[in-house]
Amino acid sequence: MIRTPLRPLARILAARDKGENPDTIERENIRRRHEAMRDKTRARAEGRLLVLGAFFLLAFGVVGGRMGALALSEAREPVASAPGARIAAQRADIVDRHGRILATNFETHSLYAQPPLMVDPVAAADGLVAVFPDLDRDRLIKDFTGKRKFLWIKKRISPEQKQAVHDIGDPGLLFGPREMRLYPNGQLAAHILGGASFGKEGVSSAEVIGVAGVEKRFDGYLRDPANGAKPLQLSLDLTVQTAVERVLFGGMKIMNAKGASAVLMNVHTGEVVAAASLPSFDPNDRPNPPTSGFDPSDSPLFNRYVQGVYELGSVYKIFTAAQAIDLGLVNSDTVIDTAGPMKVGGFRIGEFRNKNYGKLSVADVIVKSSNRGTGRLALHIGAQRQQEFLGALGLFEPTPFEIVEAAGGHPLKPKNWGELSTVTISYGHGLSTSPMHLAASYAAIANGGYYVSPTVLKKSGAQYGPRVMSANAAGQARDMLRKVVTSGTASFGEVPGYEVGGKTGTADKPRPRGGYYEDKVIATFASVFPSSDPQFVLVVALDEPSIVAYGEKRRTAGWTAVPVAAELIGRVAPLLGLRPKLAAGEKAGITLTSN
Amino acid sequence: MSYLEYNVKSTPTGLRKILYMNWPLTLLLASVAGVGFLMLYSVAGGSYSPWAEPQMKRFALGLAVMTAVALVPIWFWRNMAVVAYCISILLLLAVELFGTVGMGAQRWIDLGFMRLQPSELMKITMVMLLAAYYDWLPGQKTSRPIWVLIPVMMILLPTFMVLKQPDLGTAILLLAAGGGLMFLAGVHWAYFAAVIASGVGVIVAVFKSRGTDWQMLKDYQYRRIDTFLDPSTDPLGAGYHITQSKIALGSGGWSGRGFMQGTQSRLNFLPEKHTDFIFTTLAEEFGFIGGFSLLLLYSLILLFCIATALATRDRFSSLVTLGIGINFFLFFAVNMSMVMGLAPVVGVPLPMVSYGGSAMLVLMAAFGIVHSAHIHRPRHRV
Repeated sequence: MIRTPLRPLARILAARDKGENPDTIERENIRRRHEAMRDKTRARAEGRLLVLGAFFLLAFGVVGGRMGALALSEAREPVASAPGARIAAQRADIVDRHGRILATNFETHSLYAQPPLMVDPVAAADGLVAVFPDLDRDRLIKDFTGKRKFLWIKKRISPEQKQAVHDIGDPGLLFGPREMRLYPNGQLAAHILGGASFGKEGVSSAEVIGVAGVEKRFDGYLRDPANGAKPLQLSLDLTVQTAVERVLFGGMKIMNAKGASAVLMNVHTGEVVAAASLPSFDPNDRPNPPTSGFDPSDSPLFNRYVQGVYELGSVYKIFTAAQAIDLGLVNSDTVIDTAGPMKVGGFRIGEFRNKNYGKLSVADVIVKSSNRGTGRLALHIGAQRQQEFLGALGLFEPTPFEIVEAAGGHPLKPKNWGELSTVTISYGHGLSTSPMHLAASYAAIANGGYYVSPTVLKKSGAQYGPRVMSANAAGQARDMLRKVVTSGTASFGEVPGYEVGGKTGTADKPRPRGGYYEDKVIATFASVFPSSDPQFVLVVALDEPSIVAYGEKRRTAGWTAVPVAAELIGRVAPLLGLRPKLAAGEKAGITLTSN
Repeated sequence: MSYLEYNVKSTPTGLRKILYMNWPLTLLLASVAGVGFLMLYSVAGGSYSPWAEPQMKRFALGLAVMTAVALVPIWFWRNMAVVAYCISILLLLAVELFGTVGMGAQRWIDLGFMRLQPSELMKITMVMLLAAYYDWLPGQKTSRPIWVLIPVMMILLPTFMVLKQPDLGTAILLLAAGGGLMFLAGVHWAYFAAVIASGVGVIVAVFKSRGTDWQMLKDYQYRRIDTFLDPSTDPLGAGYHITQSKIALGSGGWSGRGFMQGTQSRLNFLPEKHTDFIFTTLAEEFGFIGGFSLLLLYSLILLFCIATALATRDRFSSLVTLGIGINFFLFFAVNMSMVMGLAPVVGVPLPMVSYGGSAMLVLMAAFGIVHSAHIHRPRHRV
C-alpha cells in the first residue's frame, strides 16, 4: 500500500512520542482532507447549479414574458412588401387657375386570379362571364385549370363589379387596390392634360404615369411625394376653356372644316387661358396613336395648336409692317406703290385674285392685305434684319409651351433665305409655324413690344421678355390691326364693345409630295382685343373650311375663321372680366327734363 | 463518494422499485404528453388519425421503456455510458452512409416500425458519457487542460457529425448541453470565457464567409438567420413560419379561441403545425393561460430533475440527471423561443408534445435514467 505523505509531520512525531498509533491519525487526516475536498467540490457544484438555476429562471421569464406580450398583441396580417412593390401612390391633382379640378385620382381595383387557390374553376369562370360578358368562358377555364399560377382578368373594375365578383365567392379570385387617373371634365382641355396610364403594375398597387400633355411634362412633379400632393395649378380657366371648345366646335361644323384650333392667351403674362384642338378625345380613355400609312393630323391626338405647323399666310404681314416702322423706314401713312408686275428671283408676285391696288399707305397695305406691298417693305428691310426680327419673336424655335407635344412643333424655314424668301415670308409663305407661335408673336404687338413666352402654368403679374420692337411701332401696328376689322378683310370680326383688331391669313395647304392644293386652305385669324388696351390675343385656325356665301364657294379666313373668332370673343370676353365699351346710343323716347 | 460506498441494501429491490419511482415526475410527463394528444387531435381537425393515435401508442411504449430503464440500477448505466456513446457514434456514421434523406437532410435510419434519429439518442448518451467521465475523474484534475480537452472532444465529435447531416439545431443543442454539463462539473470559468469569446469570433467568421467559396452554412441557413433578425423582410417567404405563428399567438389572446377553434393553425396557414410549430396551436386555442401552463409544467419537470440531482450523492447520478434536465430545458426553451420569434427557426420539436417518434422515445428513456437515479439514491434508512 502506498502511503501518501502525511502532514503535519510534527503532529505525528508528537503523537508517536506520546505512544499513540500514527495510523489512526493518518486515517483521520485522510478523512479530513477528503471531506474538505468533497465539501469544496460540492460547494462549487452548488454554486454552478445556482448559476444554471438563475439562467433557467431568466429563460422562463423571457419566454413567459414574450408569450404574454404576444398574447396581448393585436393579430395583424402582414402586408406583403416584396422589393420593388413599393410604387408611389397619390399623384398630385391638376387644377385650373381658380383651383377647379382638371385631373384627380380615383380608387379602383384590379381583378386577378390565382388558379392554385381556386375551389371550383368552372363555377368561377361561369360567374366571371356573367359579370363581364366580354370574357371568353372556354379561355378562362383553360387558364384556371392549366398550369398558370397567376393571371390578370381585368385591370380596372367598378365597385359594383367588384361586389359581383366577390359574391362568386372563389378564394382564387383576388382584387388589387390601385389608383387611377380621372379627368372629371371628360374631353375638356384634353390636349393640354394629355392622359395617364399604368406603368409598373403590382398586385397591391400600380404606378400611374403621365403619357402626354402636362401629365407627361410634369410627371416628376406630380408623382413626387415631397410636394405633399400639392396640386399643379394651370393657367387654364375651366369656364373659358369650355366656352372656347363649344363655340369652336360649332364654328368648325358650320364652316365645314375637318379640324380647328384656338389659342387664347394673356398678352402680358403669356398665360394660355384656353387652348383647343378639334377633333378632341377623352383623356380618361385615350385612343391609340394612329398606325402608319395615315396622316397623323387626322388623329384626334394631333395637337393642332402646337404640332400643326403650316404656312399661315397673310397674318405675317403685320410683322413686316411693324418692323419697317420700328426701323424708321416708314410710318403707317407712308404711301407704297403696290402696282405690278413685280418679279423677284424670276417669280411673279401676285395679289389675291390678281387685283391691283395701286398706291397704298402702309396701313392700307395691311388692311387690303397686299402681297406686293409687304414684299416691297421686306425688300427694304432686307433678309438679315427680317430673320433677326422673326427670330426674336420666337418663330424659328418650338414654343416653350409646357406640354410634351410642343417640342415637336418645330417651325420650317427655307434653307436659303434669299430675296425671294424674304418677299414670300413677308406675307406668310415659306415659313411654317404653329398657331401657338402666332399667338406669342401677336402678344408682342399687343403688349407694347415685349416678347412673352406662352405658358400653361399660372403666373402673377406681367412676364415680359426682351423688347422686340418699339412701343411706337407696336402701337401703330395695333391701330392697323384694328383697321383690318373696321374696314378690311376681317370686317366680320367686329364685336361691339370689345374693339377687336386682327389680321386674316389664308394659306393653301401643301400637298404631301410638293406643290399646293387648289381647294384646301388653312384659314387663320389672329386677333387682339380690346385694341385700345389689349389684354388678350386669340388665334383661330380652321383646317379646310369651305362655305357657300352669295352663290360662291368661300374659303378665305375673312369668311370662315373671322366669324368664328368674333363669336368666340363675344362669348369669352365677359368671362374674362372685360367690360364692353359701348358708344352712347340714341336715347330713343327718353327726354331729359328738368324742373 | 462513489456509488460503491452506497449502502446498496438500503435501496428497494425487484419490482418494488416501481413503487419508489418518482411518481410526480411521471405524472407531469403524462400530463405534458396529454396536452400533446389534445393538440394533435385538434390539428388533425378532430381526428385521432393521422397523428394522435400513433403518438399515444408511442407514449405507451415510451412509458414501458422508461420503467424498464428505471428498474436497472444507476451504476449499470454509468458503466454502460461508454458503450452507449460508441453505439450512438456508430449510428450517426450509419446515418451518414445509409440514412434516409428527408427534407434535404440525412437524419433517419429506417428501422421498419419507426424511424430512428441517432442525433436524438446522441443527446442523451453524450450526457451519460460526460457524467461518467467526471464521476471517474478526480475532482482536482477537472480544470487541467488535458482533462478539459477530452470531454471537449467527446462533445465536438458528435456535434460535427450532426452538423454534416446537416442539422444545425441539434448541433447547437448538443454543444449547449455538453457545455452546460462541463460547467456544472466545475470546469474553470476561464475556459467558458474563452469559448464564448471564440464563439463570437466564429459567428463573425460565419457571417463573413457568406457568399465566398468557403461559405460555412447553407444558403437557407443564412436566410433563416436573416429572417430571424428581421422577419418582416419576407413575410410570405422565409419569414412565413414566424409571422404566421405570431399571428396565431396574437389571435389566441389571453384565454384562447377554445379547443378546436384555432383558425390560423386549422386553416393550414401554418406549416409543420403538428411538429415544430404545434405550440402555436396550443397558444391560439388556449391562449396565454394554456401556453403559460405548459411552460409551468415543463419548468416543474425541470425542477424535479434538479431535486433528484440534489438528493443523490454520487457525481454520475447528479450530473446525468442535470444533463438530461438541461437537454429537456433546451428542447422546450428553444422551441418556444423559435415559435415566438425570439430565436431563429432551427427545427427543434416541442418535447413530449410534437408529433415524432424517436425524440419522444429517447426522452422517455432519459427520464428512465432520472427515475433510476431517484430509486437508487442513497438512503440512511429503508
